Amino acid sequence: MIAAALRYDLPRDLDEALALLSQDPATTRLLGGGTWLVPELNRGVVNADRRVVDLRRAGLGEIRADGDVIHVGATCSYAALEASELIASRLPLLHAMAVGVTGGRQIRNQGTIGGSVAAARPQSDAPGALCALDAAAVIAGPGGTRRVAVVELLSGAMRTTLRRDEILVGFEIEQPGGGHGYHKLKRAAGSWPIATAAAILRLDGDGLIDRATLVLGGVCATPLVVPVADVMAGHRIDDDLIAAAAQCAADAVTEPWCDELATGRYRAAVARPVAHRALIAAQSAAIQQRRSQL
Amino acid sequence: MSTETTIRVELTLDGVARTAEVPSGALLVEALREDFGTTGPKLGCATGDCGACTVRRDGEIVKSCLELAAGAQGCEIVTIEGLADGDELSPVQQAFWDEQAFQCGFCLSGMVFAAEDLLRSNPRPTDDEIRWAISGNLCRCTGYEAIVEAVRTAARRMAPPAG
Repeated sequence: MIAAALRYDLPRDLDEALALLSQDPATTRLLGGGTWLVPELNRGVVNADRRVVDLRRAGLGEIRADGDVIHVGATCSYAALEASELIASRLPLLHAMAVGVTGGRQIRNQGTIGGSVAAARPQSDAPGALCALDAAAVIAGPGGTRRVAVVELLSGAMRTTLRRDEILVGFEIEQPGGGHGYHKLKRAAGSWPIATAAAILRLDGDGLIDRATLVLGGVCATPLVVPVADVMAGHRIDDDLIAAAAQCAADAVTEPWCDELATGRYRAAVARPVAHRALIAAQSAAIQQRRSQL
Repeated sequence: MSTETTIRVELTLDGVARTAEVPSGALLVEALREDFGTTGPKLGCATGDCGACTVRRDGEIVKSCLELAAGAQGCEIVTIEGLADGDELSPVQQAFWDEQAFQCGFCLSGMVFAAEDLLRSNPRPTDDEIRWAISGNLCRCTGYEAIVEAVRTAARRMAPPAG
């Protein structure tokens, strides 16, 4: 039972949600899916919260393509991402992330991609995958709409640069092409990830790498963008290059995240093999994708 | 801004239109048990880990400890109490009974919902698919083998003939 009396609102569009939020941003919490917010309220972590604005009927659950850009609404559940043919065909990395979210079908029905980013839990799957896709967050506030890269939105563990009077509306993602790999280390089927790695590799007409992206999730407080393009771009892909890129991941971990699931030392130690597995999967997918174009 | 300490929640519960006065800070599982008197969904962890509170809301299974009761306004909620047809158990319930797939019974309603949800979309699941489908539910008696067997049995009985 949430000890404080709560006022609950279910706005029917974004304008109504913004208006409700503007009444008292300091004591209002936005509900995206509730999988993190509701237990937090129940534990009484923040006693100042008196009002919940539930965004799930505010029309922010759309998935649509606009040319090369795919819009993913903030209140898209993992199940909606999983079921979307558009996501499966054009953003398969996001599909792979959503399919593997732990906690059972219930959590994939309830958890939302925007909620995950706003909660900014280091172990969550979605922030790292979105950073690998260079996703831009679309944010609405009293002064209008702004866009910021997801990687910049996430400022620390459980911290974002979202202001209290702003609402995360969704994400804009360009189809990256190439092939992806997603690898997740966790203790059991139902447990939180300890480390995730999202990789995207793309080959040009000569078979040389023209895009290389690797992002580690769960290893540091915020998703860690590993500068693998420095060692991979313009090169022909082979096992040595993949190994060198995985080593980059290990070298990039300077301040690992530590929690009840794993120590920082453990996370730093698993960074290389987790990255390696994602890169190997991306390598196969990129080669296959290029063959299909020849 | 005035905040009421109780709110009126109207919903359809196991096929019956119901109304109750509910504390405004109640979780859905608490309201179902305390205010609507339906004790099938259990309150276990209250963090979304154990799945014992699972219900079907508007056709989708959810963990009702992660939902505010206020958010269930106008929703159609089905609990374990709503699965049987009178005295006749649903095929999944019957399979759990026949395989003795419960010990203390605390996880049972969540397991049954997870199994029903799987078999709706995948009538012939592999063992791996069964285990993944119940991965959001914890059995504190660790009776997983019998639970997986029950889902296999239910699938066998419910599946349309091959070919």
